[in-house]
Amino acid sequence: MAIAYRDPLEQLQRELDRMLESAFGSVGASAAGVYPPVNVFDAGEEYVIKAELPGVDPGKVEVNVENETVSFRGERTFDEPNRDVAYHRREREQGQFRRVVRIPGRLASETARAEYRDGVITIRVPKAKETRPRRVEIKAD
Amino acid sequence: MSPSDIEARPKQKIERREESTRPGAYFHPAVDIFEAADELVLLADMPGVSPDSIDVNLEGDQLTIEGRVKPEDYEGLKPLHVEYGVGGFWRRFTLGEAIDCEGIKAQIKGGVLALHLPKAERARARRITVQAS
Repeated sequence: MAIAYRDPLEQLQRELDRMLESAFGSVGASAAGVYPPVNVFDAGEEYVIKAELPGVDPGKVEVNVENETVSFRGERTFDEPNRDVAYHRREREQGQFRRVVRIPGRLASETARAEYRDGVITIRVPKAKETRPRRVEIKAD
Repeated sequence: MSPSDIEARPKQKIERREESTRPGAYFHPAVDIFEAADELVLLADMPGVSPDSIDVNLEGDQLTIEGRVKPEDYEGLKPLHVEYGVGGFWRRFTLGEAIDCEGIKAQIKGGVLALHLPKAERARARRITVQAS
């Protein structure tokens, strides 16, 4: 029997593609005009918000969690080469960004945390206690 | 002067990749390429790619960069709202300049690959001593 090699990422990629397609009409398109695009995930006890911000100084990013809203803002700036250079391609953009993301549920904002790794910001916000999934014990006589 | 807002550009998904052996989605990274007197410098946005999951390959004048993301970063996450696809990055360039392969330096920090490609030294003027017979 042949063994199929399955990348665990593949299933998620298909799911993301399917959701992108239904939201924006084509795979790979993002919300028009807003930078950076964000993905929001449900991780059971918490919501996870991710955005790709390569080359950003994390010290210049401000994250706020309030009620049902997660927002972040910052600036992406590069050091210009300090010598004579000729540009062949210039596709990477600099400037300010700001996103406000409404989360479909109540948040426990006081225990939110954010990390920046490999150019991706990940904001984790626990769900408010009353909205977390709870396991209910069944009592037997 | 206050900096302007960054305009969103959708990630460009690559539909078919040459000699692809790895499954999964790949995207075109945005790049800056500039040339100085002694080297070419390439900067590529590859968010989610760590130093141990990047390949840089120069074959003849074909430069290929490839980076992969870690599936474990997405373990246990159920997407609720999606604005961008997640995957690796791949792009190939044809270099117009002869490069000194031994001197290539690559580093990735904060999801940005910085590649320094030193130009090959021009044929050095050789001094030929004419021996008197």
